[in-house]
Amino acid sequence: MQHTVTYLGLIPLMPLVGAVVMGLMHMFTCTGRRISEKVYSFLAVIGPVLATILALKTFLELRQMPEEARYLSQKVFTWFNVGELDVAMGFLADPLSVLMLLFVTFIGTLIHFYSIGYMAEDENYGKFFAYLNLFLGSMLILVLGDGPVVMFVGWEGVGLCSYLLISFYSKDRDNVLAGNKAFIVNRIGDLGFILGMSLLFWAIGTGGFDYLSLRANAEALTPALGIAVCLLLFVGATGKSAQIPLYVWLPDAMAGPTPVSALIHAATMVTAGVYMVARFSFLYVQAPLAGSVVAWVGILTALLAAIFGMFQKDIKKVLAYSTVSQLGYMFAGVGVAAYSAGIFHVFTHAFFKALLFLGAGSVIYALHHQQDIWKMGGLKAEMPTTYWTMLIGCLALAGCPLLSGFFSKDEILYMALANGYQGVWLVGVIVAAMTAYYTFRMFFLVFHGTPRDQEAFDHAHESPKVMTVPLVILAIGAVFAGYLNLPAIFGGDQQVTHWLAPSLVEHHPHGSHALELLAIATSIVAFAIGIFIAYKKYGQGAEEPEFKGFAKFAYNLFYVDQLYHNVLVRPYKGIGSSIQNMLEPYVTDGHVKLSTLLYQLLGRTFKIFQVGYVRIYAIYMVIGLSLMSLFLSQTLNL
Amino acid sequence: MFEHVLSVMIFLPLLAGVALLVLPIAKSGVRALGLGISIIVLICGLKVYVDFVGSGGLEFVEKHSWITSLGVNYHVGVDGISLFVLMAAAILFPMVFMVFGAKSKAYYCNMLIALGAMVGAVTAADLIVFYIFWEIMLLPIFFIIGLYGGEKRIAATIKITIYTIAGSLCMLAGLLYIAVAHHTQTGQWSFEIAQMATLELQGGFAVAAFIGMMLAFAIKIPLFPFHTWLPDAYTEAPTSTTFILSAIMAKIGVYGVIRLVVPVFEAEMARYAIVLAYCGVIGLMYCGIAAIIQKDFKRMLAFSSASHMGIIALGIFCMNVQALTGTLFQIVAHATSTGVLFLFAGILEERTETRHIEDLGGVASKAPIFATFFAIAMLASCGLPGTSGFIGEFLIILGAVKFNMVIGVLAGTSVVIGVCYMLWMFQRVFFENVTAKTEGFKDLSPYETAVFLPVIIIILVMGIYPQPFIAKVEPAAQKHILQMAVKGKPQVAEKNEFTIQFELTNN
Repeated sequence: MQHTVTYLGLIPLMPLVGAVVMGLMHMFTCTGRRISEKVYSFLAVIGPVLATILALKTFLELRQMPEEARYLSQKVFTWFNVGELDVAMGFLADPLSVLMLLFVTFIGTLIHFYSIGYMAEDENYGKFFAYLNLFLGSMLILVLGDGPVVMFVGWEGVGLCSYLLISFYSKDRDNVLAGNKAFIVNRIGDLGFILGMSLLFWAIGTGGFDYLSLRANAEALTPALGIAVCLLLFVGATGKSAQIPLYVWLPDAMAGPTPVSALIHAATMVTAGVYMVARFSFLYVQAPLAGSVVAWVGILTALLAAIFGMFQKDIKKVLAYSTVSQLGYMFAGVGVAAYSAGIFHVFTHAFFKALLFLGAGSVIYALHHQQDIWKMGGLKAEMPTTYWTMLIGCLALAGCPLLSGFFSKDEILYMALANGYQGVWLVGVIVAAMTAYYTFRMFFLVFHGTPRDQEAFDHAHESPKVMTVPLVILAIGAVFAGYLNLPAIFGGDQQVTHWLAPSLVEHHPHGSHALELLAIATSIVAFAIGIFIAYKKYGQGAEEPEFKGFAKFAYNLFYVDQLYHNVLVRPYKGIGSSIQNMLEPYVTDGHVKLSTLLYQLLGRTFKIFQVGYVRIYAIYMVIGLSLMSLFLSQTLNL
Repeated sequence: MFEHVLSVMIFLPLLAGVALLVLPIAKSGVRALGLGISIIVLICGLKVYVDFVGSGGLEFVEKHSWITSLGVNYHVGVDGISLFVLMAAAILFPMVFMVFGAKSKAYYCNMLIALGAMVGAVTAADLIVFYIFWEIMLLPIFFIIGLYGGEKRIAATIKITIYTIAGSLCMLAGLLYIAVAHHTQTGQWSFEIAQMATLELQGGFAVAAFIGMMLAFAIKIPLFPFHTWLPDAYTEAPTSTTFILSAIMAKIGVYGVIRLVVPVFEAEMARYAIVLAYCGVIGLMYCGIAAIIQKDFKRMLAFSSASHMGIIALGIFCMNVQALTGTLFQIVAHATSTGVLFLFAGILEERTETRHIEDLGGVASKAPIFATFFAIAMLASCGLPGTSGFIGEFLIILGAVKFNMVIGVLAGTSVVIGVCYMLWMFQRVFFENVTAKTEGFKDLSPYETAVFLPVIIIILVMGIYPQPFIAKVEPAAQKHILQMAVKGKPQVAEKNEFTIQFELTNN
């Protein structure tokens, strides 16, 4: 079977070319006569559409191959080759990357279309699409890269785009600060990534630093190094995928335009960490300790973010915390060595979370950039399409039985039980109830009850077709995506799990039907409880409460941001100031100052003899001559 | 002309600089001639680059005997190690004449002399030739900062000159020691650099000579804690001089260590590499953290440059092929990115008449081309993949992890430290709202765009497709590392646990 193809590299290239073209056009024209938005719109979607078509082609080709040999690769050129290190700019399409590829291109394209409507009449329309294309290209490099170094290119590329798009409205200081925060926090994670990658290279990468070679050599890894590598790589994942302790940037990232929140900060980029852990499943299965760290960090992040989500009043912040929380589930999944379950949740989550963000965008657009859910209400009547699609999205997120989110989340919780992580499972069930609660709290406040801001309500109207059609498409996905991986207990045959099997190193669970039924039953109960409480409190309309006690503490996010500011940022600047004001002039420059001083001292000492009178100099001469004569007479023995 | 291409590159600017100084030609004429000469040097440089085979040895050799009785020859040549420094000088120098106008024609003459001296120092294959050009290099800098610098120029000049000369004298002593040692061991006088690598140097004198030479280069690079002349000199010097200081002169310090110290003093190097490596990473962090609180953007870039020099120097001390190649690559990568940043800082200063970060803002909305170019250079300096900065930084960190895990982790912090000060500065200068100073900020003119575009393209090409560049230098780096192993001395004096561990796993 021929494994080499020539079009893989084109997939990321398409949007990248679009980005360069639009970027140059915008750069040269934005201060003068502007190019029509229609031109940009056309250029913006052409790259993503072509990438989607190529992604489909790759998928179809891969499907025809025998299961065990399902991979296609392309080495475009040798990127750099130094000693034992040989890195190619190479791409690899195997079941795992193709699954990611399909939904990234699909959702990416949809969001490009949606943005045509959402960003209309923005003064930096061209720049926005240049960044969005650049993002898509980087994400595709991340997914398709054939080894950790190429993945890192995409990894950093998406981080850059995230920064650029968060600070897109750059006149506002807070937006730029949010962008900086995202970039810097991500970079802290990247430090882990780069060190993990270096360790991995010296341990087993000298025989080839791509996934296939690494996987073949994985046996040679010593346990201690395996744990170190896995944990360091996971540090990278906590940065990119917003897990404890590096989750703080994601809620702030909502400062960017809403389509960006949907694409980058919900559906695609933030799931890169999960993808990376799954990609390195061959390392993580050898390091169960690292796996359980991943699982616990994940599930605790899920819990923490769910607590925060229950008290937010900005619609995008609620969704942002729900994203952090769902990412936590995904890590719990890959942490308990249920890689396919984790990836499957990435897949379904992409649909319903993109849907929710775009729906929220539609609401925000209708209300002229109002984001406070306590100023909304009763929008069901004005925005039917948004209402119904949002309902589907909320149900899927909350884990309503038979919708996509239910199947994927349940799979993770069941696998946690089956693989012996009862604690993770228990926390997961509690978080499930909280998720249902905060999702429907938001939903009821926005769409039900009576309008809280009558004037805004009167001006509200359904969004244009270019925005609502993507909503409908995503809603269909949010309903049916789960059926792709229906477990046997529902009469399915887990197609996604089987599809992914060749890419992952995964053991089959030792669970029983009874265990599986238990997991399902508890999930349904948790969902019902959560939604019931939300309905009781907010279903008929409610007044904005005053936060007190724990609620206030949670609304203020446990003051973690302040803590980080005081413990990390301020000391950092403090060290900077003390270098500037103390160390630099008095310590490091000390040897210079000291030598100057010594030199001057020497000068002053000898100055004593330079009195300036001829008679004194004559005495010096006499003394000198006598000493010389004495010396000569002694040595010559006269 | 191409048989003596290196001599042309050295003496054409050197002699032209002296001649133009005395000939009665107007300033604009000198500028045009200077530009022409630097472009001839660039063409010669490109010729050298294209014809360079990458065999690992010296190419384009010219050798004429000079002081026969002492075995001193005029001997120049290029190998993979000097190639990149040479290219950095050849490519970047024309910009000195293109971007900013100067107060006097002597400025351009001094710049030409500096160009010739730098090319001479980099291509020298003889200790005496090297030392002479090394010293000549400082002269124009002394005059330029002293005559055309900012307010505190005199203090800055005195500091850089005396500091550097003190180092140079130590180096001279070291050079003479090596030559004498060669005479005692072989019975012949020679100052051939390649010969010195075969010497077996031992004892207290060898250590003293090692320290002396290392000191000279550490001051030039500058390596922590010998960097204190840098912020003042970089800030006070005219922008295009800061550009040359940071982009090229600092790299010649790095080059000197690789060329003269590493091969001659392997034993001392192996013993003290860990100390020097700590100097590198401490400098990287120390200057990087100091950069974030600077209020003057030129001074901030000065600290940033010092911080980068820390990691570049570290690449030498790790003593493996990856790190050394990373350093050689970073020499050009850093020259282009930081050099361009300094020039942009000069443009900012010229157009807004301030260097105070707080007085600026919103430049991106006024000058999109300028902002985009600046952002690309900035990201390269932060080591973002896709730009030249990533390749070198990654290779050095990779090598550092092999050398010593602690050093590796500390070197890794550069990926965080860099973005902290850069983004914070970028936000306040390019984003947020337009201020009174930036209200009328003009974007790069088509001429300026054309001047900067090639460098921006180099930054991107070296990041996306670096292999052709690496293929030129990697053999020399391999040879360098191998040479040390062949001489039977351990590459790394004390292998730490980790090194042993992965060696075990590899077998």
